[in-house]
Amino acid sequence: MNADHLTGAARPVARPRFSASADWIGLAAVLAAAGAGYLLFPDNLALLTRIIGIIMLVLSLDLVTGFCGVATLGHAALFGAGAYGAGIAAAHFGISDPVAMIAAGSAGGALAGLLSGSVILRGHGLGQLVLSIAIVNLFHEAANKAAGWTGGSDGLTDIAPTPLFGVFAFDLWGHTAYALGVALLLIVLFLLQRLARSPFGMLCRGIRQDPIRVAAMGAPVSKTLLAMYVVSGLVAGVGGGLNAISTQVVGLDSVSFTLSASALVMLVLGGTGSLYGAIVGTVVFMLFEDFVSAANPFHWLTIVGALLVLVVLFAPRGIFGTSVRLLERSRRR
Amino acid sequence: MRRILLAAVAAIALGGTALADTIKVGVIGPFSGPFAIQGKNFKAGIDAWTALNGAKVGNDDVEIVYRDLPAANPAQAKSLAQDLVVKEHVQYLAGFYFTPDAMAVTPLLEQANVPMVIMNAATSAIVTKSPLVVRTSFTLWQTSVPMAKVAAQRGIKKVITAVSDYGPGVDAETAFATTFKADGGQIVESIRMPLSTTDFSPIMQRVKDSGAEAVFAFLPSGPTTLGFLKSYNENGLKQAGIQFLAPGDLTQESDLPALGDMALGVTTTFHYSIAHDSGENKKFVAAARTAIGNPAELSFPSVSAYDGMRVIYKMIEATGGKQDAKKAVDAVKGMAWESPRGPVSIDPESRHITQNIYLREVAKAEDGTYYNKEIQTFPNMTDPGLAAAK
Amino acid sequence: MQSVLSVAVDALAYGMVLFVISIGLSLTMGLMRVVNLAHGAFAMVGGYLASYAMRDLGLGYVVGLGLAVAGTVVIAAPIERLLYRRIYNAPELIQVLMTIGITFCVIGIANYTFGSTLKTISLPGLLSGPVDLGFRSIAAHKLFAILCGFAVAAALWYLVERTSFGVKLRASVDNTPMAAALGVRTKSVYAASFAVSAGLAAFGGVVGAELLPIEPYYALRYMVTFLVVVAVGGAGSIGGALLACLVLGAVDTAGRYLMPDYGEFFFYLAVILIVCAFPRGLLGRA
Repeated sequence: MNADHLTGAARPVARPRFSASADWIGLAAVLAAAGAGYLLFPDNLALLTRIIGIIMLVLSLDLVTGFCGVATLGHAALFGAGAYGAGIAAAHFGISDPVAMIAAGSAGGALAGLLSGSVILRGHGLGQLVLSIAIVNLFHEAANKAAGWTGGSDGLTDIAPTPLFGVFAFDLWGHTAYALGVALLLIVLFLLQRLARSPFGMLCRGIRQDPIRVAAMGAPVSKTLLAMYVVSGLVAGVGGGLNAISTQVVGLDSVSFTLSASALVMLVLGGTGSLYGAIVGTVVFMLFEDFVSAANPFHWLTIVGALLVLVVLFAPRGIFGTSVRLLERSRRR
Repeated sequence: MRRILLAAVAAIALGGTALADTIKVGVIGPFSGPFAIQGKNFKAGIDAWTALNGAKVGNDDVEIVYRDLPAANPAQAKSLAQDLVVKEHVQYLAGFYFTPDAMAVTPLLEQANVPMVIMNAATSAIVTKSPLVVRTSFTLWQTSVPMAKVAAQRGIKKVITAVSDYGPGVDAETAFATTFKADGGQIVESIRMPLSTTDFSPIMQRVKDSGAEAVFAFLPSGPTTLGFLKSYNENGLKQAGIQFLAPGDLTQESDLPALGDMALGVTTTFHYSIAHDSGENKKFVAAARTAIGNPAELSFPSVSAYDGMRVIYKMIEATGGKQDAKKAVDAVKGMAWESPRGPVSIDPESRHITQNIYLREVAKAEDGTYYNKEIQTFPNMTDPGLAAAK
Repeated sequence: MQSVLSVAVDALAYGMVLFVISIGLSLTMGLMRVVNLAHGAFAMVGGYLASYAMRDLGLGYVVGLGLAVAGTVVIAAPIERLLYRRIYNAPELIQVLMTIGITFCVIGIANYTFGSTLKTISLPGLLSGPVDLGFRSIAAHKLFAILCGFAVAAALWYLVERTSFGVKLRASVDNTPMAAALGVRTKSVYAASFAVSAGLAAFGGVVGAELLPIEPYYALRYMVTFLVVVAVGGAGSIGGALLACLVLGAVDTAGRYLMPDYGEFFFYLAVILIVCAFPRGLLGRA
């Protein structure tokens, strides 16, 4: 059960054909999708904002799973730390400026990343998976115990973010929260594209493929991975902070095993190892879930299960991965 | 499909000569996942109400829009509520099984001009979060305080409490302990068990070692309750004469077939027993059993949903179908009626339901089924939790 | 002292219930290299079938148990043929996706067909009473679970280590093409061992139903516990799984007795310590 086996079997070495223009096209596509979302679902911006928050979580998971080959079912610990970081800053310290709350969220996420990374990276394969589960459950239990700070299972309330830049208030329709979310997503994506192309990003991909060889080259394997975990925590923390701002309540679900498992499902659904796979997987999964659960609130779980099975049978590289591959193949003909 | 049809009809009606409006009620509850049975009970209560009272108030049709929220998830609760309010144009929000979900939605109400009728979420503080919240269920304080009185009446001096470590459990523990101590009792130990506990034998050993005369317990209904009661019996606590005290969640009717003889003689305090002896209740139970399909699945959330619908109908009537949340809520303040659970009213101050709490004992009926037999009544209980918080 | 002994007996019973259910998962993950998150779903199917056979058809405990195991194997076989066979060599994350999907489907179908109430499996008179151990009494079904655990461990050990099927299985696992070249029908071997694993899950689901009651969410509720057992013991190792169950049962039970408020911390900290000290599990193979 080596790290390579986990994520991509014998996939050819990560295609280093990153080009600046492809990055801009990606950003433009995300912006266009965000605009389309606004036009198509003007009445459901809270859902779209929630999706953006989860996209950050899945992107952050992709950084450790897709790029570094770390299998984790405990990534919500980072997201939840971000949400509680932002929420506690607002509810207990009166830091209600949304930008400051996001900063508090990402700090919380980074700290959680450092903490859980330093434990999870000690394991391999199945052991690693179980370590990550243990970590997220410990976080969950700690948040439950510290009810004075976190509100425990009743949720952390009294989060009232002030208007963004002192102008745009967070209202019922969620325009402000959505705009903030889209802006944050674009910034994060822009930075992650740089990161993926940086020597650091390439080193991480190298470690995923062959940690022993990378170590033999003299590169610090565990330090690099831990650094990536902290970066991943920053990103997840931004998502958590966004969630806290737009919902104004933080619940224990944000540090749950369930959320961690759903995030992994969304990532694999979209395709690991490329930032866009994470986005596509999250959007498809959450919109699909929202649609079927509204259509049949009582028995939708079966349909979601069937979707997952079908994707494995017909798009084994994830929706994004398989589409890219089909596109390439048709182009070659 | 029916919803689409109804919407189409409504659209035509709105576009042409407006004969009747469709008033939508958005219900958020756990209709799938581990708490699916409680969500089913919401629906059964609502269906029973419409079966007995029709789906019309005056000339206006009432339409229910369901949204599934399988587990406590405030972010999803908020987005579902917003979807219901902004897109579906619901005039009323109802349901809400978990406290954090209700908490996440309260900030929306004022701006959305929508009242919220809580059919379960049982933490006292929710009603203080917005003046547009009305609750037709119960609070843990309401159901636990009478149990402390019963314990004192029975001459019990030493009690150990064992509750699940989450909001409702802590509420139950505090409510019981405060009341019991005020009556001169002693709490020898308070255990808070993680929600994921499956094997309760070690807890029972601890209860035994503590020397208490009775154990007061609260756990969420379902598998945990079953495990706890099983351990209580198998580890010889029953034989040792250690009494079992709990709010009625632990002997909810849908769990009784699984609990079986183990539960016989267990006494709990609660606001509703399906076996409550009144004409109103017989009518309700018959309709709700038809609605839920399998009669064994009927349980307490159904009655809160049923009464919640009564409150909503009254609101619609009072506002003439116009969207006016404040007027709607004002109209039900002090409203009193005969519920299937007994006489109830909406406290004008807290907007929480005032109701009888009953001491019940699990008994076996002639046909071999089990039921909660009411043996003592604590009339007209308001929510003591709000007073305690002040 | 009496309390200590008493807690120890509880720990043993809890550990053995975990063992009976988890050992099948350990086999699929260790020998067949499939991360089968749907294992709990098969245990649940077994529980439902037994409950149906006993409560609705009025059959006896032993017959019901047998029917549950056989029925689950019959249900599992086409799933193996159509779905699992395609992911035997897939990356683990793909296996996770597929098996979670299967779990969701099973939960949805169980909820639809059997309703969402708790299902009990009525015990025969022999197993329902208490048994006096001298220093305390214990429920007879717990003793039964302990016995079942040891019996399953012994039988499996014999099957894998001493029979020709075991030889073929280990050969197929270590080097599928070579085993095939030597005339082992690897597909049938995999199908058979998957059936064994599903049957074990069903058996465990029924025997353990007193501790882990059957309801639709069973499949997800206990998934983590089963995974932890396999990881701590070392995937594929029967002795390892047995040891893991005894250790985890002891830690969990003792933790909940000594510090009930922090039982969860106790358990997961122990898991972290064990996994860090033994990255391949207590008795895992390199």
